[in-house]
Amino acid sequence: MAEQLTNLLVDLKNEKFLSQLKDRATKEDPVKILDECKRGMEIVGERFEKGEYFLAELMLSGQLFKEASAILEPYLLESGAQEYRGTIVLATLKGDIHDLGKDIFATLARAHGFEVHDLGVDVPASTVVDKVKEVQPNILGYSCLITTSFEPMKEATEEIEREGLREKLKLTVGGGATDEFTKKYLNADFQTTDAAEGINYCLKVVGGELNE
Amino acid sequence: MSRETMNVEERVWAAINLEKPDRLPVAPDCQPAGAAKLTGRTQSVVANDPEEALNAELEAFDKYGGWDMYHMAVPSTNINTLFLGMKVKLPGRELLDNEPYQVVEEEVVKLEDYNNIIEGGWQNFFMNDLLYRIAHESDNIPELINKIQEIVQKAFQEWAKRDTYVPCWAGDLHPFFKLSLTRSMIKFTEDLYYRPEIVEKALDRMVQETIKTVIDKVRATGSKIAWLCEERAGGFFYPLPIFEKYWWKYTVQIVDALWSEGIISLWHLDTSWDKNVHYFKKLPKGSVILHFDGTTDIFAAKKELGGHLCLMGDVHPSLLSLGKPEDVENYVKRLIDEVSYDGGLILSTGCNVPAAIKPDNFKALVDTGKNYEFSK
Repeated sequence: MAEQLTNLLVDLKNEKFLSQLKDRATKEDPVKILDECKRGMEIVGERFEKGEYFLAELMLSGQLFKEASAILEPYLLESGAQEYRGTIVLATLKGDIHDLGKDIFATLARAHGFEVHDLGVDVPASTVVDKVKEVQPNILGYSCLITTSFEPMKEATEEIEREGLREKLKLTVGGGATDEFTKKYLNADFQTTDAAEGINYCLKVVGGELNE
Repeated sequence: MSRETMNVEERVWAAINLEKPDRLPVAPDCQPAGAAKLTGRTQSVVANDPEEALNAELEAFDKYGGWDMYHMAVPSTNINTLFLGMKVKLPGRELLDNEPYQVVEEEVVKLEDYNNIIEGGWQNFFMNDLLYRIAHESDNIPELINKIQEIVQKAFQEWAKRDTYVPCWAGDLHPFFKLSLTRSMIKFTEDLYYRPEIVEKALDRMVQETIKTVIDKVRATGSKIAWLCEERAGGFFYPLPIFEKYWWKYTVQIVDALWSEGIISLWHLDTSWDKNVHYFKKLPKGSVILHFDGTTDIFAAKKELGGHLCLMGDVHPSLLSLGKPEDVENYVKRLIDEVSYDGGLILSTGCNVPAAIKPDNFKALVDTGKNYEFSK
């Protein structure tokens, strides 16, 4: 049965997946069911890495995972707190209102066991700094689709450096307007236009693979 | 230093026809958002006033010494952004004065609208229904449409006074792109995977409209090149079977129909098309121009398509906004040496001139493009 739910997610059998999930949610351990969904998302990620799956499948499986999480949420709350792999603060900075790429990344990150604080779009630098102070994330991620948000990202980064918070986190930047020049300008640790590549980087951060 | 032997039109057509021009044709995609930065205007001014948008483009052209082709002659402002079929946030209205306009990713076309599109056509649905869903409460649609006509006339007259080739007075978005924008990307992707029959029926209808509309516009304006746009169909997003069935099949129909009328199609292709580039080799030689945005590997594309199709691009917006003039200069030189050595390249920005462009970087792009070959 467990394999079936995982496979239904991987194969994007949306109706069967949701029907089985709803049925099991009332009877079984919600943490176990959520783990099966997370396993499905991991397989989707592996297929993406091999070039067998594309952003389309990441989006659709992400949507299913999101729906599954919403269905399971009340049962999870009853059963106690979840354990997270790590914490990510995510924002699209002031002047940029695009949320598609950020939302895809946030869903994937949650599916991979991260606690995600998604600050939304058009976010002032001060809000990012406050949230970083508050939750002390492993990773701070900026999403960016237009060049006019380069300066607000720079402003937030410099404020984080001044506050002495920069050394404690990895800074990543992603989105269509970014490239190596953006990474260098922001003194970021990682840049990508590929959400799955971004997740892999985050997994390495919390897995201790980047602690040199 | 100048050893020019061709006029602007001859130079552009040499590149399109895969011959070696006297020098690389230069054609940055300078829309109002970039032109505003280059001429000291606010984003609010150019986004809300079509005349000022055109003035910004003309002034940028004059200020930086001009260039060979201005392919998108009608400025993209508060009026024609509505034709994306999405709600738009404008500087000075929802955004700060110096933030560029942005579209809202929202499901404005509902699942049940597919039937209206299939039965009545996209154009009918758009003009009589969708336009009123996306328009801002302050928009007077008949007035805006009249304004478009005025600005097209003015642009036509003003560009005719300048030494540049302005070939695109007709264009459209790929029907696949229209549905993705208006359904929203995730909803449209769900349609493609969970209810593909209705998507196919809509595309069948829409592609015929696109072909007719573009050919009619080309005939009415005497254009020779039609502009087409797609930003969401390449291998960055979809597996090849989806791409083949819902995009490539229709693209071939569009290209063939235009080519049979003697019309070249200039494809504005944002995001990475690395996995799809080889398909374009199946198109008739010289029938299209592929404008990449700096995320497709144009050097690999040259190896695949060199001698078959003209490429255009692709100085990345981040490089233009954050790099130094020497970085831009070096990249343009690399494009000339590795992509344009035997012709078949039109130098341009990756996508449009970005709103955060550094003026010195723009100068480096234009000047290096015009002078590097003659300086060797």
